[in-house]
Amino acid sequence: MNITEIKSDALSEKYYKVKHDSGLTIYVYPKEGYSSTYAIFGTKYGSINNTFKVDSGDTVRVPDGIAHYLEHKLFESEDGDAFSRYAKTGANANAYTSFDKTCYLFSCTDNFEESLEILLDFVQSPYFTKETVQKEQGIIGQEIKMYDDSPAWRVMFNMLMNMYKNHPVRIDIAGTVDSIAQITPEYLYTCYNTYYNLNNMVLCVAGNATVDTVLSIADKMLKKCEPHTIDNIFEDEPDYVMKDYVEQHLPVGMPLFNLGFKEKAGDKRVDEKTLAFTEILLFMLASSTSTLYRELMDKGLINSTFSYEFFEGEGFASTIFSGESHDPEKVADIIKEYIKSLKVNGIDREEFDIAKKATYGDAVASLNSTDNIANMIADFDFSHRELYAYIEAIAKASAQDIENRLSEMLDIEKTTLSVIKNS
Amino acid sequence: MSKLIRKQIIDSVSFNTIKESRFKTMRISVTAFLPLEKATAAQNALMSLVMTRSCRKYPDFTVLSKKLSSLYGAALTSGFRKMGDVQALTFSVSGLDDRYALDGDIISKELSDLLCDVLFDPLLKENAFDSTECEQERRQLIDMIDSEFNEKRVYANQKALSIMCADEAYGIPRYGDRESVMSATPSDLFDAWQNMLKTARFEIIYVGDSDSSIAFDVFKKRFEAIDRKPVSLSTTVKRSADMIKRENEDMELSQSKMILGFRTDVAEPDSDVMATRLMCALLGGTAHSKLFCNVREKLSLCYYCSSSYIHSKGIMLVESGVERENIEKAEKAILGEIKAMQNGDISDEELIATKMSMSNAFYSSCDTVGGINAYYMSQMLDSVVYTPQEAVDKVNSITKEDVIACAKKLTLDTVFTLTGVSKNEEEV
Repeated sequence: MNITEIKSDALSEKYYKVKHDSGLTIYVYPKEGYSSTYAIFGTKYGSINNTFKVDSGDTVRVPDGIAHYLEHKLFESEDGDAFSRYAKTGANANAYTSFDKTCYLFSCTDNFEESLEILLDFVQSPYFTKETVQKEQGIIGQEIKMYDDSPAWRVMFNMLMNMYKNHPVRIDIAGTVDSIAQITPEYLYTCYNTYYNLNNMVLCVAGNATVDTVLSIADKMLKKCEPHTIDNIFEDEPDYVMKDYVEQHLPVGMPLFNLGFKEKAGDKRVDEKTLAFTEILLFMLASSTSTLYRELMDKGLINSTFSYEFFEGEGFASTIFSGESHDPEKVADIIKEYIKSLKVNGIDREEFDIAKKATYGDAVASLNSTDNIANMIADFDFSHRELYAYIEAIAKASAQDIENRLSEMLDIEKTTLSVIKNS
Repeated sequence: MSKLIRKQIIDSVSFNTIKESRFKTMRISVTAFLPLEKATAAQNALMSLVMTRSCRKYPDFTVLSKKLSSLYGAALTSGFRKMGDVQALTFSVSGLDDRYALDGDIISKELSDLLCDVLFDPLLKENAFDSTECEQERRQLIDMIDSEFNEKRVYANQKALSIMCADEAYGIPRYGDRESVMSATPSDLFDAWQNMLKTARFEIIYVGDSDSSIAFDVFKKRFEAIDRKPVSLSTTVKRSADMIKRENEDMELSQSKMILGFRTDVAEPDSDVMATRLMCALLGGTAHSKLFCNVREKLSLCYYCSSSYIHSKGIMLVESGVERENIEKAEKAILGEIKAMQNGDISDEELIATKMSMSNAFYSSCDTVGGINAYYMSQMLDSVVYTPQEAVDKVNSITKEDVIACAKKLTLDTVFTLTGVSKNEEEV
């Protein structure tokens, strides 16, 4: 077993990374004086992993929404569900499935050890039968319908669906009522055996916990897994966007929009520096301090819901500007014009200094919360990044770095505007 | 742990300090409490927004934003909410603790000054707020009001409360109403500001490691200079429902919503508020509650089904997302779970598990700056302020009989359904 201490003197913070004999990577981030502990057990497996090779060498295409379905089903075992087990420890438990990961988590102030045992146990104990699988269709069908009614959810997926031609990021995480009807116990076991191998997973614990405690539970509960290669298959994705505009009508009081820029995405995830430069750049471009924000606000085109996000994962990357507006097309035009002129004229030094400080402040402040820490570390592990290296990259960024980053992203010819208007 | 020390500045103005060295950030919030009234709610709400947009020293939104960003991305925000029949206007700043500044900046001092500039020295033109600034925030507030309709869960909840409390101040939305927001003038906002400084009850909450005495002195000086006549605040509590009010609205939706509003006969400052809270959590506040296990998991009737308790008003809401054809079944099932509680069908395991969940929530809420602030803020109008430990002790002293007694006091007041229909049906 190999334990590494990862330290930041500037932030007076540290955490530990352990490569456990079972194959699992474990992170422990003790927070002095905290009464709560947050633990997250996740696998690098989400809605985009819908086509892959199995041990026999055959390629399987599984039904859409299965990663999320699997998350629901894993809570169940032969003798009751995990929630009722957590009820005895007082922990607050939950789980989520995103495009590229599935995470099971809890937070607690007492009985941490017992809760961690429950977490490690139920995630390693799949139990799927025809009856239990069928029963879940009702509840998940309800969940899908709730998202169908959510304008904020629809506006994003409509954008992705029209930006991407082949990449599965274009598919709804929960699937559809029809696709989940095709899910069988066999499919669930295939996915489970492929992706819930401990070598493909991570455990992050942050807060009131020590390495020794976590490892003693890990030693007891983890079942050793042999490393295996996971062969995800993604069809080639063209550089261009499929459609540049999409509109849907729902009962809304305020129209919503997402303007996405399709970014280059290679096989590798972006590194710490690229991510840091991107965050500073987007802050300069679209935060409430920016010239662009001011212009859109003064023209009455946006309100304080306006926001931006750099959204990237395996084989996809995009920059998304979102908000509410009575004239989304005008907003999109102004954003594109502004980017065009920024690329010609270069960035303002004062704005750069401000953006750097603000981005740095945000990143440091995120270390306050055990929930943020654990989620960020899990995400960074899956994308081969390290937390302090990211914060340091912000502190050391130069204006030139930001200009270089700007030159390689935000191509105004590769955008999709998605709009939800009132029906 | 996270103990609050309350010091009075002057009558009805208190400074609350929670000394914390665990965090990398600090936060100061100032909350003004005013009676929630139809005539003034919109003006107050709009005023609070305009005030954090600019001030005399930073007379422009971009200048102010840049100032905040240069303080390591500090945030200045304002918000308004209802706490019983009281409108609470909160102005807050948060930012990095002095220890983590890159070049030795004293951020805490700058943040206290900034908050005072905003509160006491707004951007004025004679006896009125700046009209351009007002127009910008008015437009945004109108957008916000209109967009509350976007998320149907929020919409249904608010609609149910407005039906239930039609004859109480609590039925007024936290921002007043759309028409009053439209008609408020820059001089109305000036009057609202003056009225707030002179008559509101103020609670200042300071969470952080740096010495709070500097901020205390700054606020003391400012408040002492004002000729104040504090207003008295009160909340009416309707003890039980006379009859069940039923309303339905059809809308083009895939999933219908149902809200049940109950009168609990227990409200602040009654002694059994915590027992009612426990009863409500046992019914539908956790992932092992009666509603979650039985109505959602066993019967698969609702995707979500949960309950919440408004202790200032003595109201409990049960909200659910349900298929249209299951609305009636779901109502029966929810009422069945309440009946079961009233009949004493509460296992020891359920009771212990709910107590543990609540304790966990009390303790955990104090592991973030925002959490501490919110935890104490929610108690600012209560007769007794509990530390998390005191709240936990209080919960643990509650017996099953106490819970049953609280459940027996519930009366159903309002049922609001938002029924999902397809587009064609809606047009008929």
